Amino acid sequence: MATVMEFEDHGKQEIKYSTCYMCACRCGIKVTVEDNKVRFIQGNRNHPINQGVLCAKGSAGIMKQYSPAKLRNPLRRKPGTERGAGEFEEISWDEALDMLTERLARIRATDPDKLAFFTGRDQMQALTGLWAQQFGTLNWSAHGGFCSVNMATAGLYMLGHAFWEFGDPDWDRTKYFMLWGVAEDHSSNPMKIGLEKLKRRGGKFVGINPARTGYQAIADEWVPIRPGTDGMLALSMVHVLLQNELFDWEFLLRYTNAPFLVIHKPGEKGDGLVWRDPEGHPMVWDIETETFANGMAPGVKAALFGEFRTPDGQNVRTVMSILAERYLDGHYSPENASRITGVPAETIERLALEVAHVAFRETITVDVEWTDWAGRRHDRFIGRPVSMHAMRGISAHSNGMQAARAIHLLQVMLGTIDCPGGFRAKAPYPKPVPPPNKPAQHSSPNTPLKSLPLGFPTAPEDLVIDENGQPKRIDKAYSWEAPIANHGLMHMVITNAVNKDPYGIDTLIFFMANMSWNSTMNTANVQEMLRAKDEDGEHKIPFLVVVDAFHSEMVNFADLVLPDTTYLERYDAISLLDRPISEPDAICDSIRHPVLRPDRNVRPWQDVMVELAGRLRFPAFVREDGEPRFGGYKDFITNFERAPGIGFLAGWRGEDGASHLRGEPNPDQWDRYIENQGFFQYHLPESTRYYRFANRDYLELAHKIGFNPTSDPIVIELYSETLQRFRLAGMGLYDGPQPKDPVDRERLATYFDPLPDYYEPLEQQRIDKKEYPFYAVNQRPMMMYHSWDSQNAWLRQILAQNYLYMNRRRGEQMGIQDLGWAWVESHNGKIRVQVKLIEGCQEDTVWTWNAIGKQSGAWGLKPDAAEATRGFLMNHLISELLPPKQGERRLTNSDPITGQAAWYDLMVKITPAGQGEEGVWPTFPTVKPLPGMEPSPDVLRYHTHKPVNLKS
Amino acid sequence: MRLGLVIDLDTCVGCHACAVACKEWNTSGTTAPLTDYSPYGAEPSGVWFNRIRHYEIGEYPYNKTVNFPMSCMHCENAECVTVCPTGASYKRAEDGIVLVDQSKCMGCNYCSWACPYGARELDRVSGTMKKCTLCIDRIYDMEIPEEERQPACVLTCPAHARMFGDFDDPESAVGRAVRERGGYQLMPELNYDPSNHYLPPRVHAPIPTDGLRKKAAAKVKEWVNRVVER
Amino acid sequence: MHPALAVIFLTLFSGGGFGLMALVATVNDLQIDGGLNPLQTTVAVLLSLVFVTIGMLSSTAHLANPRNAWRAFTRWRTSWLAREGVFAVLFYPFAAAYLVWIYFTGAPSAPAGLVMASLAGVIGLITIFCQGMIYATLRTIRQWNTPLVPVNFYAMGLASGATVLALVRIALGGKAGFLAGTAMALIVAVAVLKGIYYFWIGKPSGPTIHTATGFNRFSVRLLDQGHTFGTFLTEEFGHRLPRERALGMKVVMYLLAVMIPLAALAIVVTDASSVAAAVAAVSVVAGIGVERWLFFVEAQHVVNLYHGRQRC
Repeated sequence: MATVMEFEDHGKQEIKYSTCYMCACRCGIKVTVEDNKVRFIQGNRNHPINQGVLCAKGSAGIMKQYSPAKLRNPLRRKPGTERGAGEFEEISWDEALDMLTERLARIRATDPDKLAFFTGRDQMQALTGLWAQQFGTLNWSAHGGFCSVNMATAGLYMLGHAFWEFGDPDWDRTKYFMLWGVAEDHSSNPMKIGLEKLKRRGGKFVGINPARTGYQAIADEWVPIRPGTDGMLALSMVHVLLQNELFDWEFLLRYTNAPFLVIHKPGEKGDGLVWRDPEGHPMVWDIETETFANGMAPGVKAALFGEFRTPDGQNVRTVMSILAERYLDGHYSPENASRITGVPAETIERLALEVAHVAFRETITVDVEWTDWAGRRHDRFIGRPVSMHAMRGISAHSNGMQAARAIHLLQVMLGTIDCPGGFRAKAPYPKPVPPPNKPAQHSSPNTPLKSLPLGFPTAPEDLVIDENGQPKRIDKAYSWEAPIANHGLMHMVITNAVNKDPYGIDTLIFFMANMSWNSTMNTANVQEMLRAKDEDGEHKIPFLVVVDAFHSEMVNFADLVLPDTTYLERYDAISLLDRPISEPDAICDSIRHPVLRPDRNVRPWQDVMVELAGRLRFPAFVREDGEPRFGGYKDFITNFERAPGIGFLAGWRGEDGASHLRGEPNPDQWDRYIENQGFFQYHLPESTRYYRFANRDYLELAHKIGFNPTSDPIVIELYSETLQRFRLAGMGLYDGPQPKDPVDRERLATYFDPLPDYYEPLEQQRIDKKEYPFYAVNQRPMMMYHSWDSQNAWLRQILAQNYLYMNRRRGEQMGIQDLGWAWVESHNGKIRVQVKLIEGCQEDTVWTWNAIGKQSGAWGLKPDAAEATRGFLMNHLISELLPPKQGERRLTNSDPITGQAAWYDLMVKITPAGQGEEGVWPTFPTVKPLPGMEPSPDVLRYHTHKPVNLKS
Repeated sequence: MRLGLVIDLDTCVGCHACAVACKEWNTSGTTAPLTDYSPYGAEPSGVWFNRIRHYEIGEYPYNKTVNFPMSCMHCENAECVTVCPTGASYKRAEDGIVLVDQSKCMGCNYCSWACPYGARELDRVSGTMKKCTLCIDRIYDMEIPEEERQPACVLTCPAHARMFGDFDDPESAVGRAVRERGGYQLMPELNYDPSNHYLPPRVHAPIPTDGLRKKAAAKVKEWVNRVVER
Repeated sequence: MHPALAVIFLTLFSGGGFGLMALVATVNDLQIDGGLNPLQTTVAVLLSLVFVTIGMLSSTAHLANPRNAWRAFTRWRTSWLAREGVFAVLFYPFAAAYLVWIYFTGAPSAPAGLVMASLAGVIGLITIFCQGMIYATLRTIRQWNTPLVPVNFYAMGLASGATVLALVRIALGGKAGFLAGTAMALIVAVAVLKGIYYFWIGKPSGPTIHTATGFNRFSVRLLDQGHTFGTFLTEEFGHRLPRERALGMKVVMYLLAVMIPLAALAIVVTDASSVAAAVAAVSVVAGIGVERWLFFVEAQHVVNLYHGRQRC
């Protein structure tokens, strides 16, 4: 035993459990508080997400809390000063909310769509969406349109769950893991925990990424791929699997639409749709009875392959026949794929054979009895221990939706969906393909929308367009330009509002979104747009409200600033109605509660929203007598029910707190959560943990607790009828709305392929690759989350300047020196940056860390901070619009299906900077400090108590 | 007892979690605070006990990125202690932990010169040398729950790339890991005999793919269906 | 290594001071050229004390927390730095006693005085050895980790001491032929020993980035050092000198520490010019100052391997 030692005094310390918010991962934290200061933030060992561990960001939460960039008071742009000049005056909350209420009431009573409310990296979309719906504006979304929508849409229109946060590899069982295009900013701790488990078991980890950083560092095999070509790689692997008949017959026949019969009559209406009986059932060919049969009837022995002629004389083929014919084509051969992806053909073939080996020769079982959708008992779950995960590198391309579908197709061919060792769903997923709710289509004064502004279209009838086919949303989501834009197109809001295309708005509210800097494309021009005025002197965006906790670049452009609290100072619900924290084995949600008392005149935005909802008399937020129904956010979370018994938090419901998942509101629910370390976890019975798309017990549970509208089985759609309907509309073969503009028609006909396909990203189709030979993408450092952490005194010591990373040999051939300055130019602009030559970069690619560059003076940094003088944004090079084309209106630089911002389609050229050309360019004027802000300290000596010195 | 750390280079993703958790714990720890200079200025810097470097091994496309966390190795032959003129630096006999008594240190930097691993950093404001304490104020504090009586870096490591234990005990987690995974010391030729060991990246055996190649139906029409009940 | 002026001054001046004292004792012990007269002795010993004190004070200035400087003697059993402190402090009473003796007796060469002088001289020489060993024991810096370091320290301490003593003697009207000759011989020794040293450190040896990381079979390159800007480690150990610049500085060093003093001392031998002696003394001190700067800047600590150097 050690010598007697003295330790710090725990007597004056208090332990509080909450949820981290240093990124979107939402780990459980255990916070030790001393005199209203944070002594220590650590991972909560009992928490399902992080199991005790915590990343660099999480531990650096202290420095976020004590950031000098914290906003302190509501602010109004000083009358008579220019927007963006950064001249503010402090006002009271009453003044601020009176001003806002009056303005919003006027908008709501006249044309609710004149309010655009867009939110950034928040975790409260269930509330903000509800608020927008109650306000009655179509113009709401979160930031998913420039983030993840390709992945979410691909998954939800094919599997019922998706990459990003709706699914996880089965880390405990998988033996082969492919990571496609993953930057390190989401699911970060679970991913690290999982990778270690995989490697400890001797599993293989393949990283497919143009850069070998982050997780790729520990990959057993790194596949440097050209950005935007992953879809081709996946489909070429499918080609190899088909060639060698290496696919899961049983899985395809039982759980997917592979045997469904598709009508084949090219050039005619109805071509490519599933042949259905009069009741709408999809038809298959039963090979035993040799008759057509209802594909959804239990026990039917469907043909996987075949061409048939229906009694009414139509030619039909199975989905699998179409699929096999497509991908067996030489176009998808490894040789051809190699030319596109830069991955050697042998590697492609070997990877396909390796996954097949693990899936089919190292099959595992979990010996648990379960019941399938038709009531048949099975004595075990069969597991194909190959899993995959994909993120931003796939998503942020204009072919990302189809690329994600291609990866899912590969998974389905191997039978690795929601099986042991495979890619598992997380509650409330899987949902029907796609989920049944549709986007609201009409707004009217003083009336809530009939449904939420966002939903899942399945046909042109679901678009949010007017009788002339013009977009009704400011971001043009759900228009012909982005028909399945399920997360909106936040990146288009400023441009469209300023161009008044499709119309002008009155008030724009941004919450936690840095749309004048790193979260926008074309940053410098967007700043100009925010300043732009009409001839009458009125701003083109007349009123701009920014809600944030910190002095971001966006705050500088606000007319009204509403200061939010930090994550340690407020209540939050991380709800199953939103982006929940569930694990594959457990249904989970969680909360935050105030760990510290705010020392500033700030209010949680949720509280402010609930108050505004009361002031504006939203039906769901007022009682019959017109008085506000909820006493604030906390009360709202306790008592609001979306459907009977279903509220924001699923745990400890019912009067007595004994009903989980569904039950009456419980007035003590918050206390129960706080007692239970801030989270709720319902462990699924073992028999409901796999094959949930066809698992009766799970489907019944999901129906009962309101996840799904029915307990019908969920059929995996390899072949998307939804896409085919839009394609038919583009071809002029659809009975329903069809686009008039030939540009839209061509886009629908080309890109809405019912089968996953690869096409060259849209911008790249228009760029001369001889002139702009490099792909340019962003990666995310694991110790920082987007723009949030440059203010963090600890994290910015690790990373305060980004470089343009480039393949060393390639750079040397071009005469570019390590750490030399270079010009990087795209069709949209140029920047000067410092280059670092490295090995871990695909030869045709350059990349940098995202969002390190800062505008001088923002985020509490000194004006000469490295982030402003040496750090840079790639955003200047990226246009929110595609390069113009003769006879075509300007189109968004987005995925033509989902509207996902195509950040990574960028092509650039690189030239060494001249003598004396040093420092980052362009530079921006220094943002002025806000009133009441104290200057940032020159020396920081954070501690919570006098140290207990150890004596020698 | 010979306490120390094992770092698994096979799973370390280079996330800096350990470094920040260390900073966070120790800025209110026994040698608190860990001063930061110019924290919001042009060139931020500060006192850290644990730093993560990143290397590239081999050349494209056969390169591998290796993340390399380093903190005090608590050497058996701790020259930093030998050279210290004031007695501020010492190595505990009972567990081998190397510490600096802040009340005795005169800030001459000599110990840092003697350390090959860059484990010691001078705090310019307190004028004293600071270094990893192996979280001695966690591992022995009986008021901390037993499972959390580990260094902050080990507690937090998301990739479980850090282990803490007694190298004198061959059956401890660290002892076994070193034995089974070929754990090694850095710069052994200097003969400091560091306690901390590094586990090399695992080498993955090739996955057999022979016998998987076969000719499926030449044409889709010729594929013979199998009977599977839907 | 960071060439901190304080540390450069420490060994530069205290080395010269100890050398000077040792030579005073030797000259008086052996009555070389008739020994030093009381004034010459007093001035020389005073100068020695001034030099040693400059050295000691600047070493204290180098401390980040000088309040604890008094503790620096406690670990003399293991630490060469503590030993240096102990002997440096021990030097004072004997040197001072010698001065007092001369003051009261006017007999610098009386046996009792000589005992004090010799003890002071020996302690000074031991201190120089300790100073050399402070560097020579560091396995982390191969340019220092050699017996050549204390040997060089001796050569330079004595050479500068002899040059200064020659100046004192001439300036105060004594014969300095032998002293100047001794100084020249010591300076030649400095030139030769330093040459050997530079040749020796030019040969690569010791740890490499491969042994530092354990990756021995492939190339190892730094991708990122894990912090954008400097740290204590980069500031203290990161200094590098481009080869051409090092060469230039060595030329300057040889010019100041060797060529000019040798030429000036040659004039002293022939002309007994006190101006030449002063030139020699100033030049040799400046030259050894440059040498000491190079000694630090060229020292490459192995921690640099972790910051991307292939070898140190």
